[in-house]
Amino acid sequence: MKNSKRRFRWRDMPLAVKVLFQVGMVAIILFSANILMYWQMNKTMQSLDMVYASNVDLTELAESLEAVQTDMYNYLTVKTSDSLENYYRSEAKYRILLERLNEQVMENPVKLLEKNIRKMSETYLDYTAETVLAKRGRNVEKYKGSYTDTLEMYRYLNSYISELNVQQFKNNSASYQALQSAIRYMEVASNVMLVLMMGVCIMMLFYMVKGVVAPLSGLAATANLVGQANFNVKMPPTDANDEVGVVTRAFNTMVSSLEEYMKLTKENMEKEQAMMERELLMENHLKEAQLKYLQSQINPHFLFNSLNAGAQLAMMEDAEKTSIFVERMADFFRYNVKKGSEDATLLEEVEAVENYIYILNVRFAGDIHFTTQVEEEVLDCKVPSMIIQPIVENAVNHGIRNIDWEGTIHLDIRSKGNQIRISVKDNGKGIEKERIRQILSGEIRSEEDQGDSTGIGMNNVISRLELYYNRKNLLTIESQGENQGTEVVIAIPVE
Amino acid sequence: MNRNQRIHREIWMLLLAIVMGGLFMALMTFYYGKIMENAGVSSNELNHVYKYQYEMIVDSRNSTFWEAVYENARQEALAHDAVLELKGSESGENYSKADYMDMSIAAQVDGIILEYNGEEGLQEKIDEAANKGIPVVTIVNDAPISLRQSFVGINDYQLGQTYGEQVADLVDDHTKRILVLLNREQELGQNQLYGQIYSAVENKESSDQKIKIQSQNIMYQSQFDTEEAIRSIFQSPEGPPEILVCLDEVTTECAYQAMIDFNLVGEVKIIGYYTSRTIMDAVKKGLIPVTLAMDVEQIGIYSIEALTEYMEVGRANSYYTVDMDVITRDNWKQQEKQDEKQ
Repeated sequence: MKNSKRRFRWRDMPLAVKVLFQVGMVAIILFSANILMYWQMNKTMQSLDMVYASNVDLTELAESLEAVQTDMYNYLTVKTSDSLENYYRSEAKYRILLERLNEQVMENPVKLLEKNIRKMSETYLDYTAETVLAKRGRNVEKYKGSYTDTLEMYRYLNSYISELNVQQFKNNSASYQALQSAIRYMEVASNVMLVLMMGVCIMMLFYMVKGVVAPLSGLAATANLVGQANFNVKMPPTDANDEVGVVTRAFNTMVSSLEEYMKLTKENMEKEQAMMERELLMENHLKEAQLKYLQSQINPHFLFNSLNAGAQLAMMEDAEKTSIFVERMADFFRYNVKKGSEDATLLEEVEAVENYIYILNVRFAGDIHFTTQVEEEVLDCKVPSMIIQPIVENAVNHGIRNIDWEGTIHLDIRSKGNQIRISVKDNGKGIEKERIRQILSGEIRSEEDQGDSTGIGMNNVISRLELYYNRKNLLTIESQGENQGTEVVIAIPVE
Repeated sequence: MNRNQRIHREIWMLLLAIVMGGLFMALMTFYYGKIMENAGVSSNELNHVYKYQYEMIVDSRNSTFWEAVYENARQEALAHDAVLELKGSESGENYSKADYMDMSIAAQVDGIILEYNGEEGLQEKIDEAANKGIPVVTIVNDAPISLRQSFVGINDYQLGQTYGEQVADLVDDHTKRILVLLNREQELGQNQLYGQIYSAVENKESSDQKIKIQSQNIMYQSQFDTEEAIRSIFQSPEGPPEILVCLDEVTTECAYQAMIDFNLVGEVKIIGYYTSRTIMDAVKKGLIPVTLAMDVEQIGIYSIEALTEYMEVGRANSYYTVDMDVITRDNWKQQEKQDEKQ
């Protein structure tokens, strides 16, 4: 049933055909029951008809016998050839009728009577023939004697026939009564049978229709569950090709698709949520940074303009160094203010660091030896603004300040695999491991009260990097120990 | 899988319905067939074909005696591949035995069993049948000078002896008159019976007693003759006889009834014949002192035996003797049992 695809399968038939088939089946069963009953009823009716047919036959026989007797008497009376002909005709007819009677010895009284009548009739016809012959031969004495004999025989025959008639009537009445009771029984039986068959058929139809509808009900119940957002339910797989089978398969596909879509949407929403959270955080940090700047800069624009004026003044006085210093300072702070909320290129970052160092060197009379090594290809790379400068500042403030030896800071930017490695290395005091851990985990914040700072702390940089790239551990701090210097490395992923 | 099972269930359901329907129809047809069989419409039971057809012609075919004889004979006939019909006067018919003989001869039966009663012309009919090759067996009463093949019954000498004994037993000092109710034409046999009763009584009677023995022929010509004849005996001026000898069932029952009607129980002693229910009841109550009965089974069997033998061999014993039972109050129970067995 499973293997042969071409085979005619019940479950592949359309619902309409199935229902039609089942109802047709029931109709055929009921119909055949009816036919059977009609057939039996018909049979009974036929027997009923036959019951009295025998009596009719007997009446005919008696009439025929009478005709023989009458015709013979007529011939004896008038002796015309017509009457003789009549006699022979009725005799022949009587003989034909006799043929119908039983001539065997049977226990059945009716049959036995028939036999007796037949034999007696033969004797009677012998007598009549004898009588007629004697009359033709004008043997008066003989035909008169013979006629007496025939008359007697005729009497006996009539009484036998009437006895047979009575006997048959008795039998027939009994038969008739039995037949009547048979008909009554048939009425009851056919009603009982019809009711029974109807019950069976209704039960059958019920089960069959239930069989057809059961998958539909299952489908409805499952659909209800799915409607209540339960995607774990499914219909058992089916290979039926009827409507229900098709719908079931479509339903299963639909449920699994729905489940996938729901999962995808959920994921997307989660992602979006995280992204929004990150952006919010980033904004917060930026705001914080900007606030710090605003706090530290009374009126940056006024300051820049003033500085620019100072620079021009210095130029006019031919104080070139002063002019450059003031100009750089102006650039540095402008960058700081301008880029506070936007991305910057690495080039701009490096320039800002260089400006910063220049300013510091002017301030501290060239104490800081700052070297850079930057791969030109990466300079256009976009990064969050002000991420290098705070690190450099850190290196200046905590690394090489107050050391006995000459402090150097080396900035190294290069591409390494799919990352850009930004390294700020100093030869300063170094940091203890415990402190590195604390800094990286954000447990301590750069001292707020440091008056000589641009204001952006290490952890601000770390947070912003994490938020910007949505990754952790972009910034690492390495120190070999006390007075061994520190290297801060930022690894920026290149998209 | 599940679905397959369901389909199988459907198929089973369908099969079940068809099988149930079929079964019910079969049951119905079977039951119907039985009803039709009862109706005799489709019966073949009685349609077995036999070789010979015999007729039994008796006086009153509705009496229990003849019915018992006929039944025994019929069974015996069936066992010998023959069918036996019973003919005899019946209410509404007035054929004589000679008429019945005529009919049987005309119907070309294979054999006739006849209760001979000395009716006029009956002997000629026996001869006519015999000449046409139809054997005739007389029962109970013989027609010794006819061409009958055989006689089944008790011979008159024996019968007379038995009756004589019973009458003699009943004779006492008060007995003045004995009446023998004959049921056939006066002839030798009956005279013998009468004679033997006479001599038995004569031996018994005391010297000073003069017992009058009479006989009356009440062979009935028409239907109610017996009843009337007996009533007139009871109503006669000289009164009923002390002992009344009956030679057949009908006479016995009529005499018994008349005795009760005329309140003569104890005064009239009836010697009955045969063991019908009425007679046996009377014997049981002591109202009829004694009743005699020929063995009906033997009559039936022997008469068929005689015919069968004639058919097969061409001749038969000319005389089959049957037993005569004497039933009194003392042994009626035994007889009852015997009757029941039959």
